[in-house]
Amino acid sequence: MKKIAIVAMLLTTLCIGLYAEGTKEAVAFPSKPIRVIVYAAAGGQLDITARKFAEIAAKYTPATFVVENKPGAGGLVGWEYVLSQPEDGYTLMAVTKTLIANHVKDEFDVDPMSLNWTAFLINDAETIITNANSKIRTIADIVADAKARPGQQIWVAPPGVDEVVTYKFWDRNGISGKYVPYDAGGQAMAAVIGQQAQVYVGNPVDVRGKPDLMMAAISAEKRFTQFPDVPTFKELGIKGLDAESFWRGFALKKGTPASIIAWYDELFTRITADPEWRQFNEKDGMEVVHYKSEKFNAIVADEVKDFKTYFKK
Amino acid sequence: METVSYMLEGFGNILAVAPLLAIAAGVFMGILVGAMPGLSPSMGVALLLPFTFRLDPLVGLVMLTAVYLASNYGGSITAVTINTPGTPSAVATAFDGYPLTQQGKAGIGLGHSLVSSVVGGMVGIIILILFARPLAKVAVKMHPAEYFALALFGLTTVASLGGKNWAKAFVAALIGLLINTVGIDPISSVKRFTFGVTNIFDGFDIIPALIGLFALSEVFTKLEARETKGIDVGDAETRKDTWPTLKEYWSHRRVTLQSSVFGTLIGIFPGAGSAIASFLAYDLAKRTSKHPDTFGKGNPEGVCASEAANSASVGGAMVPLLTLGIPGSAATAVLVGALMIHDLVPGPMLFTSNPGLVYGLFASMLVANIFMLFVGGLGGKLWLKVIKISPAVLMPMIIAVAFIGSFAVKNSLFDVAACFVFGVGGWALKRKGYPMAPIVLGMVLGKLAEVNFRRAVIMGGYSVFFTRPASLALLLISVAAFALPFWQAGREKKKAVKGE
Repeated sequence: MKKIAIVAMLLTTLCIGLYAEGTKEAVAFPSKPIRVIVYAAAGGQLDITARKFAEIAAKYTPATFVVENKPGAGGLVGWEYVLSQPEDGYTLMAVTKTLIANHVKDEFDVDPMSLNWTAFLINDAETIITNANSKIRTIADIVADAKARPGQQIWVAPPGVDEVVTYKFWDRNGISGKYVPYDAGGQAMAAVIGQQAQVYVGNPVDVRGKPDLMMAAISAEKRFTQFPDVPTFKELGIKGLDAESFWRGFALKKGTPASIIAWYDELFTRITADPEWRQFNEKDGMEVVHYKSEKFNAIVADEVKDFKTYFKK
Repeated sequence: METVSYMLEGFGNILAVAPLLAIAAGVFMGILVGAMPGLSPSMGVALLLPFTFRLDPLVGLVMLTAVYLASNYGGSITAVTINTPGTPSAVATAFDGYPLTQQGKAGIGLGHSLVSSVVGGMVGIIILILFARPLAKVAVKMHPAEYFALALFGLTTVASLGGKNWAKAFVAALIGLLINTVGIDPISSVKRFTFGVTNIFDGFDIIPALIGLFALSEVFTKLEARETKGIDVGDAETRKDTWPTLKEYWSHRRVTLQSSVFGTLIGIFPGAGSAIASFLAYDLAKRTSKHPDTFGKGNPEGVCASEAANSASVGGAMVPLLTLGIPGSAATAVLVGALMIHDLVPGPMLFTSNPGLVYGLFASMLVANIFMLFVGGLGGKLWLKVIKISPAVLMPMIIAVAFIGSFAVKNSLFDVAACFVFGVGGWALKRKGYPMAPIVLGMVLGKLAEVNFRRAVIMGGYSVFFTRPASLALLLISVAAFALPFWQAGREKKKAVKGE
């Protein structure tokens, strides 16, 4: 009797499964939880941003977002994982500009356009940070010091995006220095506070709550209202450094149906307008924007070229 | 005087139902996280982080800090009972903790690990409260050359850890250093020994390696020996002679205090870590002991040294976080996230803008240590039961936990396979008498040494190691520390020859 009951149960389950399979096309997106792949470890900035996104998204859609960390190989582990999944919109990848830098620098074996760069959401301006108590504080100080002792000035920053800003700054100002990579930004900032290094390259969030550090210049079209004393590169007459940003956003696998992309576009539009989302990001000096696929894909293609000129020298 | 009134305010802030419950929950979770191989303190804090989003900032923060504190103790439980350190910083605890268990004195090991953890934790926090600012000023003056010298100093402990077996310990440390060379070069991004395998671009993760080398290799060894009986724990369960008496705890006060202060100081330097603190404190205890030959054979002082140091490093790691806004360890990096979520910015301004929060946090850490004493004390009987379980039952459970733990690090099956390979490798090396701990030491310190050596050279050339007084002093101490055991052994040999 028992065996028959089990067989009957199995058959029923199987039928339900087949039924679900058969009606898949008819069901509106999304009909199951969406996984958000974070290529960094839990507890970091990207992870927290992705979790905040999942929390705010719940206000606007009944869909469930589940954040999953797939760290490793500078993001390639997460990237390859997303590519191994079907292009059905149920695997969303949290992305940052670091991914592009690592792609070029570490020669990732995937096409940068294997992802559809769906939404560019946060623009985090790059800034040059110095020790507020030292002799080298402003951009003029940095340039004068670097010219007085060519190749001796020490710049510290995490490798990748901030590293390239370093090289660009040197190029534009005709100076040179020593770039020392630090994978943990905190230790690099400690080196500037301790005056073993002169300059750190980072973002406005890095100087928050650290009176020993100051921003010497920021990459933006015009001054930030939060930081009225920080000049832009443009004002200082340094060209070509107006759009250096550490962006964050989301991507889907290439080939995801247009209808699903449209669903995400609408969701991201709503989230971008959400006051809680704006406050969460703007308090740290980040700009909340929403560039859709077309513009985002173009930005990524440009950046791949840009990184190549600096890493392949 | 100001500090006293602020501390009183801090205690006032946490002596309420919600913060106390949060501390208790944090301590409980922390002990479990620490004891579970695969969950490191930083992962424990990160896992609980989302739960604090909706909590009051102080309540959330005290819970996470309690997890961080207690997980450093939790790692010692499995180190003592089943020779499987739950965290890299508990590796040195197993040196004497497990031999105690094998001698039927698990209670002694567990008792000392708990009490020295609590004392270490307390000392670390008291130093944090009293001297945070001046210590932070010293911490930022540390040049990469000094970090390299510190890592090298850590590696010299191999010479004394190995004892008579020093040649094999040396080879084991070299294996650890060689494993470290796998992965993308941290300075120049060259791919080293990666063979196009994406999963090893970052090298081998320390956690699966730790679990494989200790837990799995032990399982394989037991399997080979066909051991089926649990270890006799004597009458420890009834808390008679086999738990340390107050007098015994007191008799180890010198080692415990010395290691606590030492652990706090190491903890202050961003990136140095609690594992190096416990190894160095263990080594120091052994060298300053009147009976160094009893270390590694079940000397409770070994347990005290390692545990006091790794718990004390928690207070140390909070120094740069609170005074400079710079995280000193992986777990404090997650605490930065926890603060930012609540729009609080870690750094010196926090003392003036939110003194209630900062001193509440200090008070909570003291309370968490006291809770830990009770939870750990009550749990003691439970841990002893684990030892009594027949290996036929315990070993498959260890294998399951080892695989789950390795998977949990990065949600990656590759790490499970890596754990298995490390287990087989560890078992093979153990059969030939090679110790496991130096491999872990090599892996932990190798990266610290390599990265900082190269940073120092970029910054100041090769001469920087000798022109900076602190670096030169540390290097000379390292050479002396390395040479001393051999010199002593040589002298004893001569004496023995003369005696004949």
